[in-house]
Amino acid sequence: MAWLEEVLMRLTCRPCVGYRADGPAAVEPTALAALALAAHGRHEAARPALEWLARLQSPDGTLGITATLRQPHWPTGWALLAWSVVGGGEWLRGAIDRAAAWLLAFKGRPVPPSPQIGHDTTLQAWPWVEGTHSWVEPTAINLLALKASGMGRHARSRDAVRLLCDRAVPAGGWNYGSREVLGRAVAPHVQPTGLVLAALAGEESAAPQIASGIAYLNRNLSSEVTTASLGYALIGLSSHGQEPEDAPAWLEAASRRTLDRGGAPYPLSLLALAASGRRCPWFGHPETLVPPKDREYS
Amino acid sequence: MPHDDSSRDNPSHPRGPGLDRRALLAGTGAAALGLAGFALANLWRRNRAEAVLLAKHSHYDGPLAASIREGLVATGLDPHWVRGRRVLLKPNLVEPSRDVPYRTTHPAVVAAAAEVFLDWGAEVAVGEGPGHVRDTEMALVESGLEEVLRAEHLRFEDFNYSDVATVANRGRVSRLSEFSFPCAVLDADLVVSLPKLKTHHWVGMTASMKNLYGTLPGAVYGWPKNVLHHAGIPETVVDINASLPKTVAIVDGIVGMEGDGPISGTAKPLGVLAIGTNPTAVDATCARMMALDPARVPYLALAAGSLGPIAESRILQRGERWQDVAAPFQLLDTPHLRSLRPCARVGV
Repeated sequence: MAWLEEVLMRLTCRPCVGYRADGPAAVEPTALAALALAAHGRHEAARPALEWLARLQSPDGTLGITATLRQPHWPTGWALLAWSVVGGGEWLRGAIDRAAAWLLAFKGRPVPPSPQIGHDTTLQAWPWVEGTHSWVEPTAINLLALKASGMGRHARSRDAVRLLCDRAVPAGGWNYGSREVLGRAVAPHVQPTGLVLAALAGEESAAPQIASGIAYLNRNLSSEVTTASLGYALIGLSSHGQEPEDAPAWLEAASRRTLDRGGAPYPLSLLALAASGRRCPWFGHPETLVPPKDREYS
Repeated sequence: MPHDDSSRDNPSHPRGPGLDRRALLAGTGAAALGLAGFALANLWRRNRAEAVLLAKHSHYDGPLAASIREGLVATGLDPHWVRGRRVLLKPNLVEPSRDVPYRTTHPAVVAAAAEVFLDWGAEVAVGEGPGHVRDTEMALVESGLEEVLRAEHLRFEDFNYSDVATVANRGRVSRLSEFSFPCAVLDADLVVSLPKLKTHHWVGMTASMKNLYGTLPGAVYGWPKNVLHHAGIPETVVDINASLPKTVAIVDGIVGMEGDGPISGTAKPLGVLAIGTNPTAVDATCARMMALDPARVPYLALAAGSLGPIAESRILQRGERWQDVAAPFQLLDTPHLRSLRPCARVGV
């Protein structure tokens, strides 16, 4: 896989990356780059990314979008995930503890139940921005992060699983977080479905939603699916032991397309992660995501 | 980083005899007189009439650029002012799907607008921060806009992940004190709102003003941009419009959406482009074409006066008469939407 080697070389040379090739380093893409490098055994190459993330952390445990855009704090979960699964030692323990403590205290805003809104608006998981409602993708990101840091059984993680199950759309899969509005079903999307499937790996209570989500992805994946959506979808499927037969060809085509357009590191990292299949360090291993003994966190 | 655009030139033709602000200030050197002139100019701006041009187009392969050119000039945009300026085209790409082309701005309208501004010598870019999807490449591909960008060699700015700068909320209708806009938006001399004309299940309709929600980055406001929802949709629509650089509107009403818009409605062929240099007046005219009362559409009621006129008597019709192209848009049958119909048309 020449494309994969090219992507890994790029990330090795520049592990602190942004959403676009010429953009400033950002927390989410850098965390994904670290995860991608580690997924392919390049832990040392990932270390500068982990260090950069640690330098960006505020004393309250949070990280913003970039070094200059310090809020909102939704990328904190990505940093916690990267530190927890790639860190490989105690040197990040303080950063991990601060990020985890902040995440555990940070909740989405409940909204009074309404017949106009189809989901359970009283469930609290995580919002994108402080003071707003809980949504699917930040909840999935933070659930992954808490599981990876040994808190898969924490009450907040269990709440997250409940919310994700509640937000699954009737047709199968997930979108940004609405399943019905004014009594009408809302359509699922590929990218959030892949991310949620990864977050729900090992969750037996979510078996029906997982099965529907997998079926939705299998119906909708093709060579035409765009890069980030493809990456998340394959990551999500891999976390449940599935890999479409055409996945290698899709990954190569998407990587070539992305490289030809300037090589945005964020989607390239997702493709590299997806290419690692079940070797990916943050999914597909329920035994690591829901460890037998959680660390003690209040 | 605060952003000050108070020194922008006026892109329109000279307006109104005896109330040229620069002429009023010239030679006085007196701050008091300057303040009085500014207040007078604002008062005049609030009360002046605005023009809106409606152009019939039953298909997307017609002479859209000619209509856009005519419409912008007829409603006050000076092509000479545009030369050398940075013009940012902002289509609506919310949850695009090849299967639902009437959900998002047709790429032919974007291409036609680009053609007009490029012909006038502007530096043209396209930008959007899709509201529900984080995969912006998907939004470009599914909407068909990617082909236009490639064919016309247009730069695209993904507002969801752009570098941002903070400006004060100049509307001050909602509780938000400031906005974080992409630098590409704030650096533009002219923002062109290019929405799809649709019903909206929360606020009744979406056209050029609500479309500008998409100028705000998802990375800062979320997916959906829930910060704005919690601060009030009508209120933040007005505040965003008040805080942006100069904005003009080109509404794609050739095939709009009715019913459960802005995502799940059905196609509504209306066969019209609505064009104007005052988005409030353009949206008020769109409301009338949809058989909605502009004064009952919450964001238009809030914008009336401060951002532009909504009264029919204050909107100068150019091109087609709105009465000749109007066709009632179906709304979901809910109380908050039924109340948007003009009294005489309840039950339409």
